[in-house]
Amino acid sequence: MGQTVLVCDDAIFMRTMITDILSQAGYDIVGEAESGAQAVQRFRDLKPDLVTMDIVMPDMGGIEAVREIVKLDPDAKVLMCSAMGQQALVVEAIQAGAKDFVVKPFQPSRVLEAVQRVLG
Amino acid sequence: MDLAKYAALFVAESREHLKACNQLLIAWERAPAAAEPVNGLFRAIHSIKGMAATMGYTQVADVAHHAEGLLDAIRAGRVTVRPEYLDLLFRAVDGLGEGVEAAATGRDGAGTDAGALARALEVAASGTAVRPVSGAPAQGDGSAPGTLLDVRVMVRSGAPLRGARATLALRRVEALGQLSHLVPSAALFERDDFDGRFAFRLRTEAAPREVDAALRAAGEVASVTIDIAAADGVLDTAAFKQVRVDVARLDAMTKLAGELVVSRNRLLELLARAPDGELRRTVEALGRQVGQMQSEVLAARMTPVAELFDRFPRVVRDLARDLGKRVRLDVEGGEIEADRAVLEELGDPLVHLVRNAIDHGLEAPARRVAAGKPEEGRLRLVATRERNSVVIRVVDDGRGIDRARVLQQARDAGAVDESVQTLGDDQLLRVLARSGFSTATAVSGVSGRGVGVDVVVTRIRALGGSVELSSRVGQGTEFTLRVPLTLAIVNALLVRVGAERYAVPLAYVAETVDYDGGSKVDAGPRESLLVRGRAVPTVHLARLFDVPAAGGQRRPAVVLQLGERRAAVVVDSLEGQQDIVVEPFVAPAGTPPWFGGATILADGQPALILDAAALA
Repeated sequence: MGQTVLVCDDAIFMRTMITDILSQAGYDIVGEAESGAQAVQRFRDLKPDLVTMDIVMPDMGGIEAVREIVKLDPDAKVLMCSAMGQQALVVEAIQAGAKDFVVKPFQPSRVLEAVQRVLG
Repeated sequence: MDLAKYAALFVAESREHLKACNQLLIAWERAPAAAEPVNGLFRAIHSIKGMAATMGYTQVADVAHHAEGLLDAIRAGRVTVRPEYLDLLFRAVDGLGEGVEAAATGRDGAGTDAGALARALEVAASGTAVRPVSGAPAQGDGSAPGTLLDVRVMVRSGAPLRGARATLALRRVEALGQLSHLVPSAALFERDDFDGRFAFRLRTEAAPREVDAALRAAGEVASVTIDIAAADGVLDTAAFKQVRVDVARLDAMTKLAGELVVSRNRLLELLARAPDGELRRTVEALGRQVGQMQSEVLAARMTPVAELFDRFPRVVRDLARDLGKRVRLDVEGGEIEADRAVLEELGDPLVHLVRNAIDHGLEAPARRVAAGKPEEGRLRLVATRERNSVVIRVVDDGRGIDRARVLQQARDAGAVDESVQTLGDDQLLRVLARSGFSTATAVSGVSGRGVGVDVVVTRIRALGGSVELSSRVGQGTEFTLRVPLTLAIVNALLVRVGAERYAVPLAYVAETVDYDGGSKVDAGPRESLLVRGRAVPTVHLARLFDVPAAGGQRRPAVVLQLGERRAAVVVDSLEGQQDIVVEPFVAPAGTPPWFGGATILADGQPALILDAAALA
C-alpha cells in the first residue's frame, strides 16, 4: 500500500510493537518520535499520511501535539493510543482533532481496523 | 438482571403500542398514500421488539422483527404497499397482542401461527422494488433545508471506551447537518456508567443511509435507528405530568375510601346523640376530609369513554369484512368520563350489541341499495352525560327488529300472554332479554346461537344501570345503555317497608311525593299517581315484597325515573339519605329481580339496594 506512518510513543517497546504490526500489513513507517514536541517537528518534516500518538508523553503530551499538528494540517489523520481508563483524555484528544483511537493492550486486528477507518 | 419486575412494564407498554398500531393501521387503510402511519407503526413495533428481546420473549421479538422489516421496506420504497400487506400487518399486530397477553401470564408465544406469520412478513419485505429509492422527503418546516431525523445509536457493549467511541460517531455525523436534542448530553459520555446508547436529532440533506454509514464509520457501532422526526417541536413535557397507577391499587384505595365513608357516617350518627362540642367539631372536620378524599379517589378512577370506544374501529372493520357488509362507524362523546370499573363492565355488552348490529341489523350492501339506502351502513356509538349517569347508545340504520316474528316466537315459547297483540319497545326488550332467546332466529330466520341481549341486560343491571330499546322496521335499531357514573359509592335514599330498610340510588330518584294524600288515577289495570299533572304508574313495595302493609300513616312514594320510564314506588316511610358502599350481590336462585346489590348502613345494619330498572 505504501502509505506513510509516523509513530509517536515515549516507550521503545510500544513503538516497536506498533511498527511491527503496521509494517507487516504493508504500511511504510517513515519516522518515530518520543515526545509531543518531537511528534510535531517530525510531522512538519515528513508529512506522513498517518500519525499514531500516545496520549501521555513528556515534553508536550499527546493531546497538545494533536492540536499543534491539526493547526499545521487540518486534514491530518491522527490515531490516539491510550490505556484503559483514560476515556476523558481520549475524548479530549478527539475534540482536539484525533480521528480514532485504540486501547492498550493492542490487538493487531483492532489496530489495523482503526488504521483503515482513519485512512479509508 | 432480574427481569421479573420488568414484565409488568413490558406488558403495559406493549399494550399501548399495539393500541396505537391498530389505530395507525386503520388510518393507513383509509389513506394509503400517507407516510406518517408507517413511521409511527415502525417506531411502535420497534419498541416492542426491543422490549421483547430483552425479556427473552423470542417469538414476540421474532414476529416484531419481521413486521419491522416489512415496514422498513415499505417506507424505504423497496416495496410498494399492497392491500394484502396491510392484512398481514393487522395479523402481525394480533399475533403480537396474543404474545403480549401470553407474556402477562409468563409464557412466550406469539399466537398460534407465529412461525408462518414471521415467514410471510419476511417474504413480503423482500419484494422487488417498484420505484427507485429517492432522497428523504423534505419536512414541511420551512425554516431550514433538509429533513429532521430522529437518530438512535448504540455502541457495541464490548467496545472499550464507549464514550469516546460515541464522541467519534457524533463528530462524524455533525459534518452532515445540524445536531440537536442530544440525549444524554455529551458530558455524560465520559462517565463510567455510560451504556453506549445515545440519541439525537439531525437536520440534514443527506439520506438516512448516508447518516447510518457515517455513524458506523466511527467503528464499534452496534446499531443505528433512524426515523423521520414527526415534528420539529419541543418535547411534550406534559407527558411527564402523569403517573401510571396499577388498577388494583386504585381499587384498593376506592374500597378504603368507601370504608372510611361508612365509618364517618357511623361516627356522625353516634355523635348526633353526644352534645360534646369539641368532639363534634373534630369529627365533622374529619367527615369533610373523608368526603374530599373520596372525591379525589373517585376522580382518579375517572376515565374517558374514548378508552372504551377505542377498540371498536378495529372490531367493526373486521366484522364488516367477515360478514360482507360495508359499515361506517361514527363515535361521539369519547371525552365524557366515567368510572374505570364501569367502563370495563361495558366492554363485552357493547361488543355484543355491535356484533348484533352488523350481523343482523345492517343489511347486505345490495339489499340496502335496493331499499334506497346508502350502500354503506351507518353504526353510531354515542356517549352522553345525564345527571349521575353515563348514557351509551348503539345506533344502526339497518332493517330494525321484526316485532311480529318476535311476538310469534314469544307466544310459541309461552313468554307472553295470548292476548298480547303487539310488542311495545319495552316489552320487546324484555322478551329478547329472556335467557336463551335467539334474536338471530327472530330477525334472519337462520337459527344460531343467542346473540346475547340477555347477557347485555344482565350485565348492565348488575351495574345498577338500565337498558332501553327502540326499533323501527326498515329504519334501524337503537340500544340505550344507562349506567352510573361511578360504581363504588352511591348516594342513596333509605326507605322503610315493613321491618326492613332498603336503599334506592338517588341517581334514579326524580322526587318524593305524598302517596296517600295525592290524586290517583286508575288507567287500565295499573293504578297511577298524578305527579305534576302526569300519571305515573305506582308500585306498592309492601305488596311486591309480600309484607304486611303499615297502617295508619301517610305513605310517601319515591318517583323513579330512567330516561322516559317513571314509577312511583310506595313505601312506608323515608329514612334519610346516605352515602353507601355498594357490595356485589350474588342472589340465590329464585330471588326476584328487584335488588341490585347490598350495603352496610351507617348504623351497621345491612340493607338491600333496590334495582330501579326492575321497578320502573
